[in-house]
Amino acid sequence: MEVDVEQQQHRRRPVFTIDDDHSFDLDAYIAPYTGRTVIDRLIAIIIQCPSIAPHALSLAIQRVYRLRDPSLLNAVISAYESVLGTQEGKGLPPVADVVSVDMEWVEDVTKRNIAERTKLEVELKTYTNNMIKESIRMAHRDLGDFFRSTGEFGLALKHYTKSREFCSTSQHVLDMCMSVLELAVEQRNYAHIPSYVYKAEGALESLTIGGAVASAAAPSSASASQGRKPTDRDQIQTKLEFVLALSHLGTGAYDKAATAFLKLGPPEQLGDWIGKLVAPSDIAIYGTLCALSSLSRSLVKSQLVDNPTFATYIEQEPYVRELVQAYMTSDFKTVLDILSRYSIRHNTDIHLSAHIPELTKLIRHVALILYFQPFETVRLERMAEALGWSVEEVEREVVGLIQNRKIIGRVDSRGKILVAKKTDHRAELFGHAMRMASEMEKTNRKLLLRMRLQQADLVVKDPKMTRREQERGLEIALGDSLM
Amino acid sequence: MEPEEPLSIPTASTSASASAAASVVPPSTSGAPPLPPSPSTGPAPLVPTGMDDDISLMNVIATITTAVSLHQLSQYLRSFAPKEVREVVLASMLPEGQDPLTILDIQANTLGILYILSARLHVASAPRPPPNYIEDFCSNFVAEQARFAADRVTLLVTGIAQAAEQEGNLRLAVLPVQDLLLRYAPSPSHLTTIHPIFARICIASRAFTAALPVLTHPITTIDLAVSELTYNDNLVYHYAGGMIYAALRRWAEAEEYFEICACSPGAVPAAIQLEALKKLALVQLIRAGKTSSPPKYMHPHLSRLFKNTPYSTFANAYPHQRGQLRSIVEADGALFSAEKNLGLISEALERAPRWSIRKLTATYLTLHLSDIGQAVGIESEGQVQALILDMIQSSEICARLSSDGTVSFSDPPVHFEKADVDKVLGDAQKQCALLSRLEREMARSKEYLVKVRYCDFCIRIGGLRDMLHPYLCVRTSPKCDRSLFFFFEKTTPFLL
Repeated sequence: MEVDVEQQQHRRRPVFTIDDDHSFDLDAYIAPYTGRTVIDRLIAIIIQCPSIAPHALSLAIQRVYRLRDPSLLNAVISAYESVLGTQEGKGLPPVADVVSVDMEWVEDVTKRNIAERTKLEVELKTYTNNMIKESIRMAHRDLGDFFRSTGEFGLALKHYTKSREFCSTSQHVLDMCMSVLELAVEQRNYAHIPSYVYKAEGALESLTIGGAVASAAAPSSASASQGRKPTDRDQIQTKLEFVLALSHLGTGAYDKAATAFLKLGPPEQLGDWIGKLVAPSDIAIYGTLCALSSLSRSLVKSQLVDNPTFATYIEQEPYVRELVQAYMTSDFKTVLDILSRYSIRHNTDIHLSAHIPELTKLIRHVALILYFQPFETVRLERMAEALGWSVEEVEREVVGLIQNRKIIGRVDSRGKILVAKKTDHRAELFGHAMRMASEMEKTNRKLLLRMRLQQADLVVKDPKMTRREQERGLEIALGDSLM
Repeated sequence: MEPEEPLSIPTASTSASASAAASVVPPSTSGAPPLPPSPSTGPAPLVPTGMDDDISLMNVIATITTAVSLHQLSQYLRSFAPKEVREVVLASMLPEGQDPLTILDIQANTLGILYILSARLHVASAPRPPPNYIEDFCSNFVAEQARFAADRVTLLVTGIAQAAEQEGNLRLAVLPVQDLLLRYAPSPSHLTTIHPIFARICIASRAFTAALPVLTHPITTIDLAVSELTYNDNLVYHYAGGMIYAALRRWAEAEEYFEICACSPGAVPAAIQLEALKKLALVQLIRAGKTSSPPKYMHPHLSRLFKNTPYSTFANAYPHQRGQLRSIVEADGALFSAEKNLGLISEALERAPRWSIRKLTATYLTLHLSDIGQAVGIESEGQVQALILDMIQSSEICARLSSDGTVSFSDPPVHFEKADVDKVLGDAQKQCALLSRLEREMARSKEYLVKVRYCDFCIRIGGLRDMLHPYLCVRTSPKCDRSLFFFFEKTTPFLL
């Protein structure tokens, strides 16, 4: 189901071609990733950039052999074939010319997978019969891991959640939550994330409290683990913050996502997730774009520019630094240029691509609002020049912003001038006071009538109300009248 | 209802004299006369000797004319015979065929005439009182006497309405009922049972302006002693009031009346409240171009019910998507006209471009007529120009139209006179005084004092638990939790 929807979305999305203005280095992009996410990302690229599809296909096939999920091979090839069928995909070499499929590997892996699956299921059965709680949990966990690596997410989730029943310590709960979260990120199931994050936070909390108690009870044994614990805890905390930020992004809450990304700990603390799920450069891009689109200028300065931790992420992706700098110097033309230059990078990102149109729109609005702020009147031509748009485009956007009350001003459509609205505060205050006075009077009167009606018990009653309920209603009324 | 019941007896009794009427009743009167069961204080001095078993109009008239105390007279009239007989007797003529109304004086015997008139209008075969007599009575009766029999006043009003309807001219009822209402209510702000009937008469006879003298005084006082109100009287009156104002295109007042109806208190929403809410939304669209959020105290079910109606979609699409608005009206036109709202709907639809233009004035300084036409969805430039001119004339917008078809909008000039401000301040002070008076009254009321003392007492004996006990017992809904909270808030000063 989900895959179908995804593919339909892909089909509707525009296709990008690489040229001088829109650069994209596939090898550099894909290098930091490992595991499944590589294939997911390459599939996205195959579908959206037909011009580099063959290269992406060969890369993907190479990487598939390192995993143990033969179904990925089909997914990659069918993605490529679907591109071949489209207008843009004409002239691309057929699959057989690009790669040769190793059928032996497929058979071999499938055989091994079946064997392991049987083994794990037998184990689970034995443990269940013996009713050894800890072993049952581990068997479920192993099965979950196994299904995840073979791409059967539904079954994996089932086993992970089943293992919850057999958890005996907070550490186990935490492990379970982290596995589910990894799974959710891989599947891009953002709505699922927050509940597991809260569960995990709860477990983490009790774990630290439990740890403190344990260390007080047995100081000698705890001292060894104490050196390790804090970093472990930080690591999990950072991971949780990251998935939560990602879920905010996924559900379109850009302001929350921005603050969450900007508060993340240093990249080391994401541990094995770097590469497996996300690259630091991704975080730099997500955080920056969300911040520019939804935070105010002062917040961007304090939380992004003056934030040493986030700077370590930005280092990974130099153009992001340029972007932020252009924004801070109000050089909005450059901001928009950079956005369009790296549009392929953004649009092929599996987490970000769905939100790029919205984010770009928001950043354009921010640019317009910030540009107009210091002026009393400004020619639309000048605005168009500064932002690199046509006058009509500027006018359309400005009118939209005025109607949403983002810009306080009016457009002189004949002279193509944007004029800031001058408000006569004194008149406004008077008008407001007069209006309020008459409104208050009316409301007062209505409320008094209402009160009188209630005092006289002239309230609408349910004709079907039974006697017992009536009595209860009376009690409620009595309780109410005490207010 | 009542007029129907006596039908079985009248054939025997109406034409006959009072003694004949009495002869029909003996089974019930001879053994246990109707008087003894009534309160022991009244009857004894009232009834002249030898009249116990002789219930005739003569005697009733005699009692009416000789009664010293109005209270006792009202007791007597209320219970001198079993109900059916009483009505028939009251509606009958004197032995010589003389009309009893000619004997009685409107001012002195208001109460008696009230009984006779209301009975006459409701007993089917009774002779009709002459219309000009009713008018005379309505404009001259003594309200203090009439208040002893609030139910008879209601009967009289329904009777007048019925009589006018049978005449085929409901308009005849408007003036008498208006007189009656204005004289009967202790103050114009009192709600009486006459109000809803009057408003309905005005609507049915399309005499909208006749209702204005009554409607201009908002209802603020409810006195159950003046008339026996039900919640429906309040709902119907305000709903009908809203309809009258809407018919007169006085949208602000209409909005207020509909709002009062829709937001009246209740355990469950009434159907009429939903209807009022629908009309309220439409009136708001006409008046302000958008709906405003209803007061918090409106029943939550109502807004949920409203959301499922086409009215809600109509209001959401208003005023910009004219195409969508039209398609809604086409699709649900049958429903709108069945619910008698098609007039308001088309009025709103007609005004939609005006609201779109109003919105444009906030966005643009200058705009060409053709652009305006495009924005509001009117093809012909001439129509747009006419519309804009009309809006400028009615000072809905402040704009200049130049010869090349460019419209320049400007902010409406704002002027405040000192007198206006003084008036508002004066009103506010009056409000303030009223509220503080009400608060003082509340603080003086027995109910309140009892509760305060109870709390005080409990705190003194240190029984916080005892104090809370009754609250915890009635905690059956979030409402109660709220009252508990307020209770805590009120008691904290005591605790500290």
